[in-house]
Amino acid sequence: MAGLIVGYDGSDGAEAAFHAAADLSKRLGVGLTLVFGFEANPVGGEALDYWAALREHGESVLGTAIEEAKAAGVEVETLVVERGPAEALAELADEREADMIVVGSHGERPIAAAVLGSTPHKLLHLSHRPVLVVRI
Amino acid sequence: MEDKGLKKNAIGYISNVVIGVASTAPGYSLAATLGVIAAVGGIGLQSPAIMIVSFFPMLCIAAAYYYLNRADPDCGTTFTWVSKAMGPKSGWTAGWAIIAADVLVMPSLAFVAGQYSFQLFGWDAAAGNKWAILAVGIAWIIVMTWICWVGVELSARTQQILLSIEIFTLCLFAVVALYKVYFNDPAGSIRPEFSWFNPLEISSLSALTGGVLLGVFIYWGWDSGVAVNEESEDPASGPGKSAIVSTLILVGIYVLVTTAAQAFAGPKLLIDNPDDIFAPLGESVLGTGLDKLLIIAVLTSASASTQTTILPTARTSLSMARNKAMPAIFGRIHPRYLSPDVSTLAMGGVSALVFFFLIFKDENLVFDAFTALGLMICFYYGLTGFACTIYYRRHVFKSVKNFFFIGVLPMLGGLSLGYVFVKSVIDLRATDSGYAGPWLGVGAPFVIAAFVFLLGGVLLALSIPRYREYFSRKASVVDPAVLESAPATGGGD
Repeated sequence: MAGLIVGYDGSDGAEAAFHAAADLSKRLGVGLTLVFGFEANPVGGEALDYWAALREHGESVLGTAIEEAKAAGVEVETLVVERGPAEALAELADEREADMIVVGSHGERPIAAAVLGSTPHKLLHLSHRPVLVVRI
Repeated sequence: MEDKGLKKNAIGYISNVVIGVASTAPGYSLAATLGVIAAVGGIGLQSPAIMIVSFFPMLCIAAAYYYLNRADPDCGTTFTWVSKAMGPKSGWTAGWAIIAADVLVMPSLAFVAGQYSFQLFGWDAAAGNKWAILAVGIAWIIVMTWICWVGVELSARTQQILLSIEIFTLCLFAVVALYKVYFNDPAGSIRPEFSWFNPLEISSLSALTGGVLLGVFIYWGWDSGVAVNEESEDPASGPGKSAIVSTLILVGIYVLVTTAAQAFAGPKLLIDNPDDIFAPLGESVLGTGLDKLLIIAVLTSASASTQTTILPTARTSLSMARNKAMPAIFGRIHPRYLSPDVSTLAMGGVSALVFFFLIFKDENLVFDAFTALGLMICFYYGLTGFACTIYYRRHVFKSVKNFFFIGVLPMLGGLSLGYVFVKSVIDLRATDSGYAGPWLGVGAPFVIAAFVFLLGGVLLALSIPRYREYFSRKASVVDPAVLESAPATGGGD
């Protein structure tokens, strides 16, 4: 099951990645999967409710993207994955033997990115599949 | 949209122990309590005994966490568990006690952070000035809240390294101090005696409960390790066991450091320096240079503790909001940082206000808030103990093991903490019970605790008609399958 896998969190970077990937998928005639990956530190307790809240957030973000895709006449599949964004994308791409992973050049956690490394950066190290980084 | 195919990030047994110990923050806990415990009237030289005695109710409660966690391995904590086992009103009250306890510890954390930051740079004048401490303390609360808000988390590896340094430094301090006591005989030092560890030597029951009230605080936090279960290698039993192992490590450190500090300087020095105990001791024990290591250990410990205070509070209010037991706004998730932003910022804001108010009125109130905090901890840990037995009540008499681990231990924990709670409430009314002078004619710690419980009562009364769905829930019992499928290990192994 090939196709394009897009990291999508509703940020401007994700939006740019989504548009580039939608365009590519039309031209290549391959499927498009939007993935919202999240990771919640279980330290702090009550993680079940926290995860549920994050999952809902992911679903609502992806819901908006589905609307957008429909308007543009593109078929998309969406997935919420309980996994750090970079890991989620890399593992899913491996599992599906995806053609390519598409992400925005920077997400929306600039401070976290500065401290811990950004998702695209991490992804370049993790992924066995080609990664396309789209600049905003 | 469900994710089923990808494997979860596994957290090992060691990591669980690390999380449990780091969240308890031994360095900060000792810095904050050593002097205050020694100052409880009638404890005398028996501070080490208090460290040991306080451990028993906590071990009992650990058994309760272990079994409640097994029934609900979804990172619930006291609020979820008590709601299920004892009904929504008790659950709500437990949630309130957690939030209140977390708010009450923040002034102490901020104070220690301010104090030790100045000590680190040897700026003693500022370390003794409450306005300077207020400024740094508020900045500390802001930075820590911001860190939790934007969701920067230390990696497990970093946490392990910081914790190792902390434990190493504390042990080094204790060993060097004891060595000097025996071989250099510094002025004011006393050699440890067996009686220090004997709780029966404590002169009165009030002294004992007063000490334990503070003592439970030092073990507070290991429940974070228990909460980390969904992602553990063995979700149903690993975290409970690691909570017990981490508690054992903690007892060792606390008894060792308390003994060493007291032997080196005598109880008077501890009593006179409740806010910066390691500052006067560090230099004379470890010498200039190395003493900074001790200060750094306290600071990293305090920062870990601040984070593991803000996070669970925000999670508890998020959980309460999602269960429709609190205004929905507290369940909001920041679209970018993915943190429960309203809960987190509210926690930081309220903490800063409380800190400001206490310092403004009388800096000694910080220590009295700390004593009142002990009451909150006793209250909700005690409730958790009862909740365990009540939740499993149909299984208590099914085997000797069940009887002991589900019936006896959690009940014993609940009852002993309940006793400490009631006895302390009575004792704390005395006008001389706090560091600050009496307030409204009674001891300041009592006033602070009474205010928190009254406020909670008012909010509960306001919430009941508003959140009918949540408050009409019924208490339930555990699914019998939980015990049948459980591995054949007890809470104590």
